[in-house]
Amino acid sequence: MTDATKEAGIVGRGNEAGARLFREWFQGLNAAAEENRGAAYVFVMGSLCELLRVFDFPIVFPEINSLQTAVRRVAHEYLNEAENYGYSPDICGYVKADVATQLRRGAHPMGRIPKPALAVCTNACNTYIKWGEIWERMHHMPLFTLDIPGSRGAGLASPRGSEDFERDRKYVEAQLRELIVLCERVSGKRFDIDRLRQHLGWANELNQGWHRVLELNRSRPAVFNALSDGTIYLGVANGFRGAPEGGAFFRDLVEEMTHKADRGIGTPIEEQWRLIFVGVPCYPIFRRFSELFSDWGGVFVNSTYLWFASGGANLGFTYDLARPIESLSEGVLLGVRDAMDSMFFQTQALAQMIDDYAVDGVVYHPIKSCRTVSTGLADTRRALMAVRDVPSLFVESDMMDRRVVSEAQMKNRIDAFFEGLASRRHQAAASTG
Amino acid sequence: MTAVAPPAVRVFPEWHGQPLEEILYRCRELVEDTSFPTVRRWREGGGKVIGHFQVYFPEEIAHAGGLLPFKVRGAPIEPTQSDSRFGSYLCSIIKTSLELALSKRVELELFVTHPICDAARNLAGVWGRNVPYPCRILYLPQNPNSAFAAHYLRDEYDRVRGVCEGLVGRAITDDDLRRSIALFNENRALLRRLHDLRRERPWLVPVDDAYVLLLIGGLVPREEHNDLLRTVLPLLEGRSAARQDKIRVILEGGFCEQPPLDLLRAIARSCYVVDDDLLIGLRWITTDVPLDGDPLFALAESYIDRSAHSPVQHDLRKPKDRMLLERLDHAGAQAAILMAAKMCEPGLEELVVHTRALDGRGIRYFVSEFEENMTSFDSLEIQLETFVENLVFD
Amino acid sequence: MAYAAGVDVGSTQTKAVVINETREIVGRALTDTGANVMRAAESAFHEALTNGGISEEEVEFVVGTGYGRYKVTFGNTQVTEISCHARGSVHMFPRTRTVLDMGGQDTKAIRVQPTGEIVDFCMNDKCAAGTGRFLGAAAVALDLPIADLGPTALRGERAVKISTTCTVFAESEVLSWLGKGKKIEDILLGVHESIAARSIGLLRRVGIEEEVTFTGGVTKNEAMVETLNKRLGLKVNVGEGAHYMGALGAALFALDRIVAARAPAAKGAA
Repeated sequence: MTDATKEAGIVGRGNEAGARLFREWFQGLNAAAEENRGAAYVFVMGSLCELLRVFDFPIVFPEINSLQTAVRRVAHEYLNEAENYGYSPDICGYVKADVATQLRRGAHPMGRIPKPALAVCTNACNTYIKWGEIWERMHHMPLFTLDIPGSRGAGLASPRGSEDFERDRKYVEAQLRELIVLCERVSGKRFDIDRLRQHLGWANELNQGWHRVLELNRSRPAVFNALSDGTIYLGVANGFRGAPEGGAFFRDLVEEMTHKADRGIGTPIEEQWRLIFVGVPCYPIFRRFSELFSDWGGVFVNSTYLWFASGGANLGFTYDLARPIESLSEGVLLGVRDAMDSMFFQTQALAQMIDDYAVDGVVYHPIKSCRTVSTGLADTRRALMAVRDVPSLFVESDMMDRRVVSEAQMKNRIDAFFEGLASRRHQAAASTG
Repeated sequence: MTAVAPPAVRVFPEWHGQPLEEILYRCRELVEDTSFPTVRRWREGGGKVIGHFQVYFPEEIAHAGGLLPFKVRGAPIEPTQSDSRFGSYLCSIIKTSLELALSKRVELELFVTHPICDAARNLAGVWGRNVPYPCRILYLPQNPNSAFAAHYLRDEYDRVRGVCEGLVGRAITDDDLRRSIALFNENRALLRRLHDLRRERPWLVPVDDAYVLLLIGGLVPREEHNDLLRTVLPLLEGRSAARQDKIRVILEGGFCEQPPLDLLRAIARSCYVVDDDLLIGLRWITTDVPLDGDPLFALAESYIDRSAHSPVQHDLRKPKDRMLLERLDHAGAQAAILMAAKMCEPGLEELVVHTRALDGRGIRYFVSEFEENMTSFDSLEIQLETFVENLVFD
Repeated sequence: MAYAAGVDVGSTQTKAVVINETREIVGRALTDTGANVMRAAESAFHEALTNGGISEEEVEFVVGTGYGRYKVTFGNTQVTEISCHARGSVHMFPRTRTVLDMGGQDTKAIRVQPTGEIVDFCMNDKCAAGTGRFLGAAAVALDLPIADLGPTALRGERAVKISTTCTVFAESEVLSWLGKGKKIEDILLGVHESIAARSIGLLRRVGIEEEVTFTGGVTKNEAMVETLNKRLGLKVNVGEGAHYMGALGAALFALDRIVAARAPAAKGAA
């Protein structure tokens, strides 16, 4: 990195800005909690922030709150509290961490979290629905469940504009209009379609930027680490969806990554191996988990996590501001459907990713907490290995519960994986050399 | 397209002309037979089979096409081949259901699932990669409170009809559907009679008998099920069984993975189970489905408005705590047995709601986890007996 | 003549193997790991040297493996025992395509290329079911020495079905069967069947391709070998030195490094 680049302050700007935006977000939430203002509780697969911001709801992502308790090493306290309350050790850790947060009246390592005035979820994850039911009982607030009809089978996603697609889209649109009525009732504010256009416009910038940033990682070396850096950008992609800061962040991020790609500037790791990550990161030992790979020169160039956990924002969908509600329904349907497909029918997409990103290995990380992501992973891995001759690693732990995270055991497997990669490269060189 | 006549074979003739205890014995044998002979006989007669997973499936549509709707509900078998397809921390039914297919104990033309939970939503994907026939997801609405949900579902059912038509090579007309709906209406009425009888005079219908008689419906053509129920009901009413002084309980938690029959018998030894949610999907619609108008719409509307409840169907009109208490009150039960299948996320989450609701009313309950392939219940039975003894002494 | 060594520091036992340039084992030793891992490693290594009549200076490269591999401070590098078991198995049985390593604490299933390169692996190290520890728990419950478990099980005729998946409950289930009048032989056979079933479950996850080589401490148990053979429908390879497979593999990796260092256009280490 040249001094000139350092002075330009471009490289590393995104990570700093992301951290700052997060702090500001949680400061805002803390203020809302102190003022007893109710928030909109939403989820990463279909957050509808573009719409909810029209009503000035503070936005809370319980999934993000929960993972933060793990990153900040206090998740086990929250999990214990929820388990003492009656929740089984075998259910999703995110839910339990949130239950404890609610029991503590919003107390959270990043500041106080306001109560929900309403909650919006999609059917992309059944745990969302059971989770929302908990808030219904605890806070007597309305849960709106948005049905998003997903692909009916592998390769059966109906094409945009087709009759099948339109049938589904019309149902989504009808539900969105019902959601608007609910938001008006809860917020006491009238729906302003021009404000929706504004928020959709900012979301467009975010979507396009996210799509472009992911694309730029085809560069060699990769311009960001999809596991570590990617999680920061993902946080902004969710928390600031539809907000002006979200659009600006991704504009700047595209600039930074383009700058890096043009100059061959990679991550701080000396890139030996280009990897894909499939699953949810191990938040209880987040930094260490990443190091277990980077110590071997392993850089994650892409991750399905950045797809499904952004609610399909990676598609780069552009809302048509001339038909805001229709276009929103289309974008949500496409995004959430794609998010589901990237978990259940992912073979083709992963095979393509391997080709496009010059991938050396695929790391599957199923987690105890999340059956949505993990149930079929052993089988999708098998399917991928049948169509691509790329080594893969299957290592299980959790994203919340450090009781089932064993660094020593994971390191053993990860090391064996890299030993295999090295041996393979050595043999390939020997046979051509 | 050439018409396909429904097979003339009866797949479950063994019970005909038998006395009640023999009929029940034959039913139990069939239910515990993991080679699924009725499905096999259906195929041998030239018939085609749609496998549908838990909880609910609009079987009338399959039936209207001359197909056999087969309830895929796992089995107490070892998931030898299927285990490697799945990860850890999963319920057994997910694995054993696939095992049925991989081991060819059951062969299907189509497999349909609905995302009832996060594990099950992976089924279509996993099955689709491992079996030679199509696997489809039916997206039943989790927003049934939308004014448009019934219309959406009607279109979804139309999609199912189209898939069935493709399997049988002929159109499934509205009249076909109405005939099937009428048959299933009769089935529902018979099942209501069975469950009313069990509730009013539980000494005549222990829970394992009620369960077996219900479950048969998922294994044989509905016509045969109706014949069986029509025959058995008067026999049950006339059964000579002495009324005993057992407490009345409801049993919750059997909506998906099924407890072993022996476990139900063990429970029946200690108490009268006067209502339960075992295989609730097979008696999901609670009244007749109207026969006038668009039959698919009638089915869709019935799913939404004339239905039971389960932990995996979300509906603002059916809050889980209230529904449990309603079931308890309606059944005249004094206590509840709450079971959750091991690793069943919705089941385990529901335990928290249920226990709190019952605590709020001061109603006693017994909580336990189960697994479909449990073979020893000594520990559970002792705990249950202790629970019951304590209730009696109150 | 140069020598290479491998030291496998397991949670219960530490094994060391010294080989010469022609890949023959010239010395090996086994010791309990105990609380001081470093001392165990040194002790096993020196004993192996003594057994081979070799001095420490003659050993040009040492590879440490096993969970304690980073404690082999006198070692030159570390390689995971997964890679080492694969390498050792293919060396001992060149037609090996699948390895089952059943140790005291964990069980590994590994599928390999003819070169010893790993295709896939799957481990059970969270849960004792399917590992030697299950046998240990049964031994305690039946008050039998571990060495007697195999021969006793071989006399079993109708294996009792052990349904608990948790070692902690295995003890009480075994006692419960005894109480119901089942014979020790049949119970033990059932325990072996249960462990074999779980291990084979692991094997299925990586895919079973013949030949299958069985390694690790439990290989001395003839009942386990027989049960595996029966359930797999084939005959697993069992070497006399199966216990030392990890250390042997490590020694072979060490020899690779010696050879590579000598090569005129020595590339970067693999």
